[in-house]
Amino acid sequence: MLAAGAVAVAASAAGLALTRHPVTALSAAAVLPAPTGPIAAVPRPETARVPRPVALTIPAIGVQTALVDLGLTSTGALQVPPSTSVAGWYTGSPRPGAIGSAVIAGHIDSRVGPGVFFRLSRLRPGDRVYVRRADGTLAVFRVTSVRMYAKDEFPTRAVYGPAPDAELRLITCGGVFDSGLGSYLSNTVVYATEI
Amino acid sequence: MKLPRFIRRAIALAVVPLLLFCVPAVASASVAGTSTGWVRLAHLSPNTPAVDVYLYSFGDTSAQLVLHHVGYGAVSPYEPLAAGEYTVAMRAAGAPAASTPVLSASLTVAPGHAYTVAGTGPESGLRLQVLDDQLTTPPGKALVRVIQASLRQHVVTVTYSGDAVLVSHLAFGSVSPYHAESAMTATVSVTGGSEHVTASVALGAGTVHTLVVLDGAKGLVVDNLLDAAGSGAVPVGGASTGFGGTAPHAPPSPLPWLLAIGAGALLAIAGGARLRGLPRPRS
Repeated sequence: MLAAGAVAVAASAAGLALTRHPVTALSAAAVLPAPTGPIAAVPRPETARVPRPVALTIPAIGVQTALVDLGLTSTGALQVPPSTSVAGWYTGSPRPGAIGSAVIAGHIDSRVGPGVFFRLSRLRPGDRVYVRRADGTLAVFRVTSVRMYAKDEFPTRAVYGPAPDAELRLITCGGVFDSGLGSYLSNTVVYATEI
Repeated sequence: MKLPRFIRRAIALAVVPLLLFCVPAVASASVAGTSTGWVRLAHLSPNTPAVDVYLYSFGDTSAQLVLHHVGYGAVSPYEPLAAGEYTVAMRAAGAPAASTPVLSASLTVAPGHAYTVAGTGPESGLRLQVLDDQLTTPPGKALVRVIQASLRQHVVTVTYSGDAVLVSHLAFGSVSPYHAESAMTATVSVTGGSEHVTASVALGAGTVHTLVVLDGAKGLVVDNLLDAAGSGAVPVGGASTGFGGTAPHAPPSPLPWLLAIGAGALLAIAGGARLRGLPRPRS
């Protein structure tokens, strides 16, 4: 009995020790090289027809992904990519590189691990974002600001409203995860301007 | 009933960090404060030769932007600028940068606002007009306005989709107010005197257009400028872009393990006690 008790104490202490270790931070992003390709001139306002976007590269945070098309859900919210490992372009927004604010959204995580935009909030003003179009040309953007908003105070005007130059908005989740609602309570928005 | 002092202290110690944690969370949810505005430059004086257009930050003698050899009808893309005071100067094309400008005007760029600085009127009465360009459309609508820059026809009337009037009797050198219109592809008709010209204009929801009436080589010409564009259908609320797999979770409760340790210890003590209670084996 003494032996059984001692074993139980030891096993429990070991169990406690094993389950109390802090969550280790995920390793730093692998920085990617900037993609190469013909960089299309900023379009004249009246000839704002540019090819559709097909891929996104953000070297500073190791993002390299194809782009899927996003529409609206039945409730009028922004559709999100079906996979957490790809980003999507909202087809109701201007094409990246055309006049106006193009909108690209991606998941911060899945139920088990990081998603394509896991490190989006680590972008800083001046970082470059590259969007490849169907004709192989690149639209290059410079990050101007990175913000976090509570979802019930989402800045609809700043993200979806008209802009007079070619801009980009990258959206993912952030802040506190509400397990009851099964969703994050905030959105991270990255603002970028074509260079 | 008064709580014992140590309990009150414990509550205070638990609550203060919570408050400290909550304050920055609230502050970070503020709206984006952009400090950028936009300016574009245009030459809309039919009988004025090409010019060089200079943009200076107010009080700065070196130009921030120079557009060379800007001819009649040319409109630059919008240039993003830090909010503040600026001066726009026009010189004859090729004139030295240090020469006295033909014309200059100052403008204040407010954050989030866009402006068109246009040389308008006849050469004899050339002036720089600063137009406040609108960037917000009513939900689901397009905005459209007209700049009358034709000297051939001093007065024009612009209609669309048959007989809907966009603006009537707009005089040379003037600008119509914005008109909000449902999304459509409109056939715009410009009539001045005996001249008439039509243009197809795609008025997408969330877009802002300026139609410039110009003198062409053979008659009136309409230039359709897309001033700004946003999302046609604006999504409701934020985006559901996460499932919580990397969200910080509270560490698991240590209680089950502590109970197991306690139970094990009790078992061990009980076992030890029983061992001591047994009669000693005889030697």
